[in-house]
Amino acid sequence: MNAPPLLRMHHISKSFGAVRALVDVDFEVKHHEIVALVGDNAAGKSTLARVIAGVHQPDAGTISLNGERVTLAGTAVAQTRGIATVFQGLALAENLDVTANIFLGRELREHGLLAEERMETLARDYLERLNARIASPRTPVSHLSAGQRQCVAIARTLVGDPQLIVLDEPTASLSVAQTAEVLTHIQSLRSLGLGVVFISHSLTDVRAVADRIDVLRHGRLNGSFRAPHDAYEEIIAAITGATTLRR
Amino acid sequence: MGHGPPLLALHRYPGLQRDVAAFVPNFRHPVELKPLRRFRCIRFLNTVLVAPSEAGYSHAVAGHVLSSGSQSALREANSARLLAAVRRFGGITQVELADATGLSPATVSTIVKQLLVAGIVETRTTTRSGRRAQFVTLAHKSGLLIGVHIGSRALRLAVADSRFEVLTSRTLPLPPDHRLDTTLDRAALLTMELVDGLGSTTSEILGMGIGLPAPVHPTRGMILDQGLMKGWADVPIADVMSSRLNTPVAVDNDANLSALGEARFGAARGILDVLYVHASYGTGAGLMIGGEIYRGTRGTAGEIGHTLVDPQGPICRCGSRGCLDTLVGAQALIDSLRISRGPLSLGDVLELASSGDPGCRQVVSDAGAVIGVAVANLAMAFDPQIVIVGGELAQTESIFLEPIRAAVDRRVLISGGSGLEVRQGELGALAPVQGALAMAADLTHIPGGRR
Repeated sequence: MNAPPLLRMHHISKSFGAVRALVDVDFEVKHHEIVALVGDNAAGKSTLARVIAGVHQPDAGTISLNGERVTLAGTAVAQTRGIATVFQGLALAENLDVTANIFLGRELREHGLLAEERMETLARDYLERLNARIASPRTPVSHLSAGQRQCVAIARTLVGDPQLIVLDEPTASLSVAQTAEVLTHIQSLRSLGLGVVFISHSLTDVRAVADRIDVLRHGRLNGSFRAPHDAYEEIIAAITGATTLRR
Repeated sequence: MGHGPPLLALHRYPGLQRDVAAFVPNFRHPVELKPLRRFRCIRFLNTVLVAPSEAGYSHAVAGHVLSSGSQSALREANSARLLAAVRRFGGITQVELADATGLSPATVSTIVKQLLVAGIVETRTTTRSGRRAQFVTLAHKSGLLIGVHIGSRALRLAVADSRFEVLTSRTLPLPPDHRLDTTLDRAALLTMELVDGLGSTTSEILGMGIGLPAPVHPTRGMILDQGLMKGWADVPIADVMSSRLNTPVAVDNDANLSALGEARFGAARGILDVLYVHASYGTGAGLMIGGEIYRGTRGTAGEIGHTLVDPQGPICRCGSRGCLDTLVGAQALIDSLRISRGPLSLGDVLELASSGDPGCRQVVSDAGAVIGVAVANLAMAFDPQIVIVGGELAQTESIFLEPIRAAVDRRVLISGGSGLEVRQGELGALAPVQGALAMAADLTHIPGGRR
């Protein structure tokens, strides 16, 4: 139980010109844990996600992975460190099939040729691990529903044995049935032993699966809640700023 | 097979019957597969090696590669596989079926035609990405039944035909202390979406049954206790839902519905006096007496979670002191592991217990022993023929069931030696949903269970 957390961010600050997007934020994720990041628009949720993903470099503060200080100098660095991110836009290629999308940019090769079979088998395996309802890993992404696309984007994070998955608004603009599937996928990631950062507006979705809920307000951490214990109203109060930080 | 050692050894390497037959006379594959686009054959002495060049079909034939099957066995295996895919997706086009099953489009088409004639599936024409496609669902011309279980942390919803065949289902994780309005809205939207997905409309819904983890007043159809589900008390849930979907709705306690489900479709089929124990976030029991669910005057019959086990114990959600649930409810189990294991969810505890973690194992089996005493007392009071155990805790099987058996064996002695059987439920997490389907059918006077 005393192992260092999977991800520890300490006193992270980030400004864009005069805008202070993140101010002195502490954030932690363990293995086998879903940590939700909630807050109003422009609270700094996506900025924090981008810092974890290596898109933005923090102006101040430290990041450690499994106790080791790291600098996430770019998305590729973050990826090789085992951090996989699904951004809001999903960034799927419509014209390619599910397998090609999952391995996009990281295609497996054998003797210099694409290892199509191996990729298809692995893609099928990832989809199965997530319990996905997708008929075939050869279905073009343009044929899939919004929920299925989200699932492909999540399956893509499983390539290359990640430790931490960051999901930015995965349930936004999904129907109830699709939300049900995505939330189930998120639970599957947790039971695979991964750490998950789940960013969302929907407190209902967040509280359904998260172990811990961190609230951001105007770029500052304004409360950290243990999901099953703390009441809805308390979390809302932290989001609106009716209450200020308790640690 | 009696023909000596096989000439061709294919281990998890599917090949097309036709292609392999060229090398091996009388070779019959039990499962037909799509032709491999490319494959290599190497003949070495007496062995033919076939290397596939297309991945993805090995899962389809796991285990059976060289057993020879008759044509009819082949057909049966194929249609079973096809039906499994239809069930999984609810509704699916023929083209997608070929992808999902690994069968050729021609075979899919033939099997669908046979199943159509037999009245097992229905098809209609639809479009997928601008092309005409045959959309296949299980037959449901006679109408749809909806079964809902609103649990403490998940909503399970199944759409079934009037013969209780589940056509499609979903599980939506719910937040702790979820709110009535949001949850019922989501249940209604989920119903519409799943019904839409079957190519049907909500007007085809015959009835809906809803199970709740709290006692439900049998005539007023509402929860009376204020403490058990925050904000759910005193609301006519059946009426609220009925007006949202314009269909008859009935509401009952989830343990009662699980008892009904197991009695109609599961482990208690054909048994008239059943004690069903539902061990989940809280503990409850469903009583079936003479083939009918016994609810009591206020709907609290069987609420063993709120019977007294410790007069000095803590105060329960319900307001009484020392209830069984304060000892074996999810929170109590999780709390007893907090110091050694840190914060866990109920699912974690059960998973760890099943995988042999000694601490979690002990917590689950101790809960079984305590619940076992309550069950034994209840069994003494109304003398059931069988005890069925279900709910999340029952997933750990003997870890949880053995202590219950031991407690029941120790207490129920006057039965003349022929001990009371304690059996695990067969329906698992779907028991309350199946019971809700049965209740929905009773609501609309559809004749009872098929099986």
